[in-house]
Amino acid sequence: MLDLASRTAPDGQPPMLRRPGTPALIRAGVIAVLFLFVLLALPQLLSLYYIDAMTQVAVYSVVALGLGVLVGRVGLVSLGQAAVLAVGAWVAARLLFATTQPYPLVLLEAGVITMVAGTLIGLPALRMRGLYLALITLMLAGGITVVLATTNFPNGGHGFLGYDGSTVHIPAIRRPSIAASDPAYFRYSVLVAALMFLLVFAHIRTRPGRAWAAIRQSEPAALAAGINTTLYKLWAFALASFVTGVAGGVLAGAVHYLYSIGFPTQDSITLLAVVLMGGAYSMWGAIVAALLLQLLPALLNNWGVSADWLTILFGIGVLQVLTTAPAGLADQVPKDLARLGGLVAGRLRRPAPSGDGSP
Amino acid sequence: MRTHKHVPGPRVAAALVAAVGTLVAAGCSSSSSSSPSASGSASSTSVSTSQCGTKPGVKATGTPIPLGAIATNQPGTSFTDIPNMAAAYFACVNDNGGINGHPIKYYIETEQTNPAQIAADAKQLVQTDHVVGIVGNTSILECTINHAYWEKLGYFVVDSGIAPECYSTPNSAAINMGPRYSSDGAVQYALSQHVSKVVFDQSNVPGTGYIAAGPAALAAAAHTPIVQLTENVPIADANSVAIKEVNDAGPNGAVVLNFTPPEALVILQAAQKLGLENRVKLWGCSTPCDTDFLSKALGPKWNNKLFVNAEMTPAETTNTPTMQLYKAILAQYGKSVSGGIGSFSEFGFAEAEIVVHALESVTGAYTVASVNAAIKAVSNFDTGMVCKPWTYGSYPMHIPNNTDYTVTPHNGTMVVAQGCTDISSVDPQIAAYRKAAGITG
Amino acid sequence: MPSWLDFQPFIASGLALGGVYALSGVGTVVLYQATGVVYLAFGAVGAMGALIAWSLTNAGVVGWLAWLVCVLFSGAVTLGYGMLFGPPLARRDPLVKAVATLGLTLVLFGLMDLLWTTSGGQSRAITLPTDNGGFTFGEIQVTWTQVIGLGAGVAIVVVTSVFLRYTKLGTAMRAMANDREITATLGVPVRRVEAAAWLGCGVIAGVSGLLLADLVALDATTLTFLVISSLAAALIARLRSITLTFVAAIVIGLLHDLLTPIQSLSNYRDMTPFVLAAVALLVFSRRRVFSASREEV
Repeated sequence: MLDLASRTAPDGQPPMLRRPGTPALIRAGVIAVLFLFVLLALPQLLSLYYIDAMTQVAVYSVVALGLGVLVGRVGLVSLGQAAVLAVGAWVAARLLFATTQPYPLVLLEAGVITMVAGTLIGLPALRMRGLYLALITLMLAGGITVVLATTNFPNGGHGFLGYDGSTVHIPAIRRPSIAASDPAYFRYSVLVAALMFLLVFAHIRTRPGRAWAAIRQSEPAALAAGINTTLYKLWAFALASFVTGVAGGVLAGAVHYLYSIGFPTQDSITLLAVVLMGGAYSMWGAIVAALLLQLLPALLNNWGVSADWLTILFGIGVLQVLTTAPAGLADQVPKDLARLGGLVAGRLRRPAPSGDGSP
Repeated sequence: MRTHKHVPGPRVAAALVAAVGTLVAAGCSSSSSSSPSASGSASSTSVSTSQCGTKPGVKATGTPIPLGAIATNQPGTSFTDIPNMAAAYFACVNDNGGINGHPIKYYIETEQTNPAQIAADAKQLVQTDHVVGIVGNTSILECTINHAYWEKLGYFVVDSGIAPECYSTPNSAAINMGPRYSSDGAVQYALSQHVSKVVFDQSNVPGTGYIAAGPAALAAAAHTPIVQLTENVPIADANSVAIKEVNDAGPNGAVVLNFTPPEALVILQAAQKLGLENRVKLWGCSTPCDTDFLSKALGPKWNNKLFVNAEMTPAETTNTPTMQLYKAILAQYGKSVSGGIGSFSEFGFAEAEIVVHALESVTGAYTVASVNAAIKAVSNFDTGMVCKPWTYGSYPMHIPNNTDYTVTPHNGTMVVAQGCTDISSVDPQIAAYRKAAGITG
Repeated sequence: MPSWLDFQPFIASGLALGGVYALSGVGTVVLYQATGVVYLAFGAVGAMGALIAWSLTNAGVVGWLAWLVCVLFSGAVTLGYGMLFGPPLARRDPLVKAVATLGLTLVLFGLMDLLWTTSGGQSRAITLPTDNGGFTFGEIQVTWTQVIGLGAGVAIVVVTSVFLRYTKLGTAMRAMANDREITATLGVPVRRVEAAAWLGCGVIAGVSGLLLADLVALDATTLTFLVISSLAAALIARLRSITLTFVAAIVIGLLHDLLTPIQSLSNYRDMTPFVLAAVALLVFSRRRVFSASREEV
């Protein structure tokens, strides 16, 4: 069975809903404080350049979250999430141009339509496992990319496709009236991202999460235990597609203009790379992945370093993660820090180094 | 069961292999300009680069004047040569008196056709770098995404345009003609050779309908049928593209291409390998084909067979003082201009020329208002790089360069096939611009 | 609906395109049969070799020497990757091994764009001496390079099928791809066999890279991600049969080009590999769930 990201998964006990103990409350408190900081204080501290970059981080953290659910929780590798994002963005753009519906409704619709599309595609694909599933998602993504290149994204035109190729003044995709400025739209995207994280969290803590854990452990055993593996795998696809579709809607409003060249097939590969590097299993890993994918290029751009170095870094990161640190940075860094702390503490306690204190 | 071996060895070895491989490849890679014309020109010019500034040899030491640029730079599409050449020109000016003693500080932002990044780059330039002018923008998407921002803040941009908004908005004036008007030029030449049919094929990037409208109008006015095609790029199968184009054009027809140089090259090379180059009356191409790289790679079969629209004065065959200055600055300051002599570096040179000319007329402080007023006031300025003098002007749209040469490959270089010819006013956008600018004829 | 005469010239170009896909697809399947790894960096490694050959030729090095360097480079990089990352990942799922090669792809792709910049309108091309001759089929000229491309695909199919089935080394390779541990306990020198497999496939990647750079384009992006389209042929053969991969690749190439004159479908013809692969996989999987776990290789 796929063991891509599960070697050091932290759940040693069956994840049931239970009374949160003190450590969990402290963790929740820390998360709440961080969230409020990001929501309220961060936009005041950053320049517009970095606010725009962080909005992209918010969008892609949700995409990485979806892929993380598939890869880390269920063990299904999808090499087509960039195409799913493109579909979500397409639907949102079409609705935003064609109707005057309120933004949250458009986001919901984009999510639902993308979810339906993702599930329909997932249904026959689920008969495959492992390598074949990954490659078939790559094929589907390639197909969608070609279609998008030919049909283009809506730009205010008429007809089903909503594309007018001859316009000299392309209208911008609208934003919600309460979040028109860049800092306000950043806050809006953070709120939407938080809602998506809560949605996924709720899934993980209840029955789907347990079923996914069982499937990842051993699919035949899960089947034998009476779990409807097809249903739960499909559910994972649906969830991942839904959140990615919503993220696509937020992306449409963030960038104002959508182009098919913005969603090349290699983006799906880089997305998988950063999700692996960040840690497919933990939800923090999704945020780390998004920071790698969107903040790091913005920083490098500012420092005059070519974006190619980032591609090389991601490649090395994938190799490193797969060979030595399967749970990714989000799991590894705290462990490394703890180990470092232990080393230091050990040194301070004992005057002379002993035996094999090496990690 | 997996035994966890601590393996620093293989990882270090991997890094070593990578490093050695990189060194080998770096030693072999030719990222620097290797066009023979660069070395040839050094002996034919005696112009000193100090002519670029007002006080030869005097380094500028006052408070810097910040300017900015945004250019696409991603695998397969890189326009950084253009702002890099502008930077070379500014470096020369800084070494020779600056602008009334003030050096120019030039910030170049690159982007990978990511709309969010392009918008963010503009904000970085304005809010963090505090630039007072924008010059040298060359991007597939930038004009569309940022034009409202520039208009709101009062920046009058001098750019090398690609998107429709580079030519249809009040705050952008380009040194080049852009894909639509350059394609007009190529189609116009084909029509002047009395072909019976035109096939216009372009890459499927944003704006194909806008670009196609120009050739469509020209062909309609000449009562010649035109077939409009698009290809997804990068082209994976050039053979089928070449066959399709030739079949659609017929023996007395013309095939006109609008692609980036690498894509145009694969189509033309495929046509040659298939033996199709003589199956149509002539081949045409918009400005991107006007490079020595292309003419060298194509070979003699295309002499007087391929006719390329050239927006800029051909550098090889022109020996004016300005052209010599361009080659001298490129040789001395243009180390990061990897394409050497060619239309990209000519764009950068001319755009920098225009802005320096504007800056030299500013009296008092160099603010956004004063600098951009001076840029807008540039009128009938002879850049020495294009057919006619260049004007910005207070118009709702700008197509200041609307006269072109036509060049053709000749044993490795491009030579002039037809001198300066106006783009026909049959194209409605050209007509609208000429009316707004008060140009008759 | 276009007439037969309209379709005819596309048959030759379709076969040539099929040959291109076959080169890449067959190479990938051969490596999978020999090492158990879907070598997704196949295109990138060949592309970098071709770019190095181009640089050497530009610097004055004689043609065949530059091509030799290209092939040796691809062999060395592939061998190095196999030796470094083969053993640690040997017991992992084939999916993990395939994703690891994606890491190598990204590294090479970034390096190529750093070292061979595309600014300045540079358009690079590799020309092989066999480009200048050929014969006429219908009204189209077919170059010897295209014939060689197709021929190389056939040669790889035949030679490697025979090699893997009938020679000792080949059998050892197949055994190792199936189960490395057990093969080791049988006394097969696994490291040497593995090295031979990776080196051989690296050489195939280098030769393919050179031919593809000539037949398609000398462009890092195109050549690196061509492997995705050729993967379709490999998937139709379920990564098992080299012959079926070859046939599927030819069919994909033919169909792709034959769609060109049909106006309504022409712009979608680049989808052909993906649609065919998806359809084939879904049809095949209706009867049985199949996976690429070790037991079934």
